[in-house]
Amino acid sequence: MAVFSFYEEQRRNIAKSYLLIILFTVVMGAFGFIIDYLFETMPWFTLIFLGIALIQVLVATLAGPSVVLSSVGAKPLEMGNLEQKQLSNIIQELSIAGGMAPPPKIYHIPGDPTINAFATGLRPQDAVICVTDGLLDALDREETQGVVAHELSHIQNRDMLYMTLLSALIGAVVIVQLFALRAMIFVPSGGSRRDSNSGGIIIFLLAVAGLATVFALFGRIVLFAVSRQREYLADAHSVELTRNPAGLASALRKIAQTPGRIRTASVATAHLFISDPLRRAVNEQEGGFFTNLFATHPPLFSRIARLEGKSPQQIHRELE
Amino acid sequence: MVAVWIILGVIVIIVIWFIASYNGFISLKKRIENAWAQIDVQLKRRYDLIPNLINTVKGYKDFEQETLTKVIQARAAAVNATTIPDKIQAEGVLTQALRGLLAVAEAYPDLKATQEFMQLMEELRNTENLISFSRQFYNDSVMTFNTRIAMFPGNIVAGMFAFKAATFFEVADAAERQAPKVDFSK
Repeated sequence: MAVFSFYEEQRRNIAKSYLLIILFTVVMGAFGFIIDYLFETMPWFTLIFLGIALIQVLVATLAGPSVVLSSVGAKPLEMGNLEQKQLSNIIQELSIAGGMAPPPKIYHIPGDPTINAFATGLRPQDAVICVTDGLLDALDREETQGVVAHELSHIQNRDMLYMTLLSALIGAVVIVQLFALRAMIFVPSGGSRRDSNSGGIIIFLLAVAGLATVFALFGRIVLFAVSRQREYLADAHSVELTRNPAGLASALRKIAQTPGRIRTASVATAHLFISDPLRRAVNEQEGGFFTNLFATHPPLFSRIARLEGKSPQQIHRELE
Repeated sequence: MVAVWIILGVIVIIVIWFIASYNGFISLKKRIENAWAQIDVQLKRRYDLIPNLINTVKGYKDFEQETLTKVIQARAAAVNATTIPDKIQAEGVLTQALRGLLAVAEAYPDLKATQEFMQLMEELRNTENLISFSRQFYNDSVMTFNTRIAMFPGNIVAGMFAFKAATFFEVADAAERQAPKVDFSK
């Protein structure tokens, strides 16, 4: 019955994003408040921490797609040849299939021979779909359609908004951690009348630093888990849009069988792509619990297996 | 006193739920109207494209006249159809005729190789997809709407404001029901 779940998914992701912002601001404010309370510096640290929170959220939400696009060397797609015209047609078709107007802007990574694509932009109106030139060359219409539908799902589900905020949150936790470590240096260590206090303060700061470290690690694991789950979900939504699992499955097979990394991709942008552009081993292993924890993408063979309704082991063998 | 507050609270919740359901139905209805308008836009686009296609193909000597005539007739019928069932029927015939034309074109390798034909082919493929995707979106929206207004407790609100189930864009012809399988990949 769950046909056409985009609107639901979108609402849920927006709600979760607001929740993240609120949670984040409260936690940062609380950290500052506790420090102010201990050092009797009210209200400075509360304000500083709230400031950090505000800046993080603003930077995360206001930075347009241009940062990511220029970092991977993407250029706007010109409608030179038939392939390019075709891509633009496909995007227009699928935007209608998903009931989203206007269609996202199209970029490409010129001269890159690998097959890959990503979507960026926090709001649908400044969304961008970017493909490699290798994708234009290697994939036929049906396969391109599957990949584009996958990217459109990310845009419609507001996955970027949620993921960006989650990374900003982790960034802020890291800031707190550094802050606590630095602050320990400034705690007076004897002679003063706050002597009895300083030991307690050091323990507190150590606890904050330790907690922040644990949270940062935990945050990354959550971020990766969300990223993997979003990939599966976008695959499913792609099929919901195109009603054709064969196209995406065949595209993923071609991706799996085309070696090579995207030179311009980095760990900061890798999770955006439809398949890991860095080809890190962790993303292609059958893997136990621990390897899976740090993967940004589910292994291609499991994704193909889900689309084709076969067992992952079988696809794994076929691809070798 | 407590009982009064509880009753008041329950009433407030019911009213909020009422408003939310009503607004939900209205926004779904708007989505359906918009989706229908989209289908119309795409169908017009296809009418405009057909003369170009015919002109390109006509130049080729002994191209099956029968197929061409079929397309031209089907287009005329579709343009002139006034009621929605007629329109759906005529569009089905046109889609079939176009597929026939494309199938015939497969037999003319030099025609197929021309840049002009390839571009037209892509345009046509694009239009066909736009039509079927806008129909898909329309039908999905209709299904969501129809399910919502039929399900308890939404059906109470729907009944009070006389929301009627919307009509699906059903495909007339059995062959049409199959997924488009014109294969000119790449």
